[in-house]
Amino acid sequence: MDNYEGIRDKRIVGSPAVHLLSMAVLLFAFWMLLSGNTQPKFLTYGVLTAIIATWVSYPLLLVPNGNDTKRYFVFGVNPAKMVMYIVWLFWQLVLANIDVIRATVRPEIEIDPCVVRFRYQTDNPLARVVLANSITLTPGTVTMNVTEDGMYEVHALTVGAADGLRSGDMQRKVAWLYGEPYEFTILEGKD
Amino acid sequence: MIACVPLQEIIAALLMGLGLIFLVGSMVGMLRLPDFYSRVHASGNSETLGTLLVFLGLAVYNGVSITSAKLLIILMFIFVGNPIGSHILTKAAYKTGHPVWTKKTLPADMLPDSNIEGGEADANLHH
Amino acid sequence: MRILFLVLMGVLLATIGLMLQRVFQGPTIFDRMNGLGVITADTILLIVLFGFLDNQPGMYVDLAMAYAMMGCLGSVVLAKYLGGKKL
Repeated sequence: MDNYEGIRDKRIVGSPAVHLLSMAVLLFAFWMLLSGNTQPKFLTYGVLTAIIATWVSYPLLLVPNGNDTKRYFVFGVNPAKMVMYIVWLFWQLVLANIDVIRATVRPEIEIDPCVVRFRYQTDNPLARVVLANSITLTPGTVTMNVTEDGMYEVHALTVGAADGLRSGDMQRKVAWLYGEPYEFTILEGKD
Repeated sequence: MIACVPLQEIIAALLMGLGLIFLVGSMVGMLRLPDFYSRVHASGNSETLGTLLVFLGLAVYNGVSITSAKLLIILMFIFVGNPIGSHILTKAAYKTGHPVWTKKTLPADMLPDSNIEGGEADANLHH
Repeated sequence: MRILFLVLMGVLLATIGLMLQRVFQGPTIFDRMNGLGVITADTILLIVLFGFLDNQPGMYVDLAMAYAMMGCLGSVVLAKYLGGKKL
C-alpha cells in the first residue's frame, strides 16, 4: 500500500462506508459467537474491538487490479450470489468426488494424470483467486501455478476432470459471480 | 424401533455415514496412487468433503445452538483453508521441479507398485 | 449414535497411523508435508468427536477452532519455507 489515499480514494469499487459497516457488524457477530456473554462490559469491549480491527485492517483488504486503476474490496461480493455459488460448488464437489473415488478404488486404478494449461483474464484479481481455489477444491483438479498474466497450470487426475475444466463451466460461473467480462482460452502444446 | 429415533438423528447419521465413506476413500487414495501430485488429490479434496459432511452431520445432531454455529465456522475455515494448503504445497513442488507422473512414462501394469519410483516422469513438462 | 462416533474415531485413528507411516518413509519431503496436513485435518475432527462422546462439545469445539486456524497457517508457512524465494 504505497500510494494509499485513505477511504476517500476514488479508485475503490463500491462505497467504503458500506464496506466498513458490514465488516464491523460481521466482526462483532463473531465476537458474540466466541464469547456468548451479554454483560454490558463485554458488549462494549466487543464493539470497540470490532471498530478498531475494521479501521486497521480495511486498507489491507483493498486489492489493486493489474494497472492500479481500481481497488477491489475483498468481501465486496453479492452475498446472495455467493451463497448460490457455494451451493453449486458443493454439489460439483460431491459429483466429482464420487468420480475420483470410483476411479481410485477399482482393482486397477483408472487414472490418467495430465497438465491442463489455460488462460483466464478478468480485471478483478479476486475472481482469479476464487477460480483457483474452486479448481483446487474440486476433486480431480489441483491448481499448480497461476502466473501474473492469468495463465493457469492445473494438474488433472482423470480424463473426465480435464474435460470438465476445458468446457469452461466453472470459469463462466465465477465470471457471473463477479459480474464481469472475461477471456478464456485453452493453451495447448508444451506437454 | 426405527420410529423411536427422531428425524434429526437419522439425517445426522446419514450425513456422517457419507462423510465416513469419503474419508475411507481418501485413505485408500493416499495409499494407492502413484505420485505426489495424485496423492494431493486424495488428501486435499476427498478429505475436505469427508470432513465437511461429518461436521454438517454433527451440527444437525447438535441442533440450533452456539456450538453448532462454531461448528459451521470451523467448517468455513476448512472450506477455505484446505485448498490453500494443498495449492501452496503443489506450487512449492512444481516450482522446485518435482516431475509429474503420466501414463506414458510407465507401463500400465506397474501402476500400484510405482510408489517409490514415482519420480521417473518426463522432465520436459517443466520449462 | 455413540457407535457411529466410535466407528468414525476408529477410522480417523487408522488414517492417522497410516499417514504417520507416510510421514516417516514418504519418498519426498512434499509427501511428508502432505501426510502432516492430513493428520492435522483428522485431528480437528477427532477432537470434536471426542467432545461429543464426552457430552460436553462446547469446550472441545473451541479447541478444534483454534487448531483449524493453526493448521492452515502452519502448512502455508512450511511450504513457503520449502519452496524458497521463487514462491
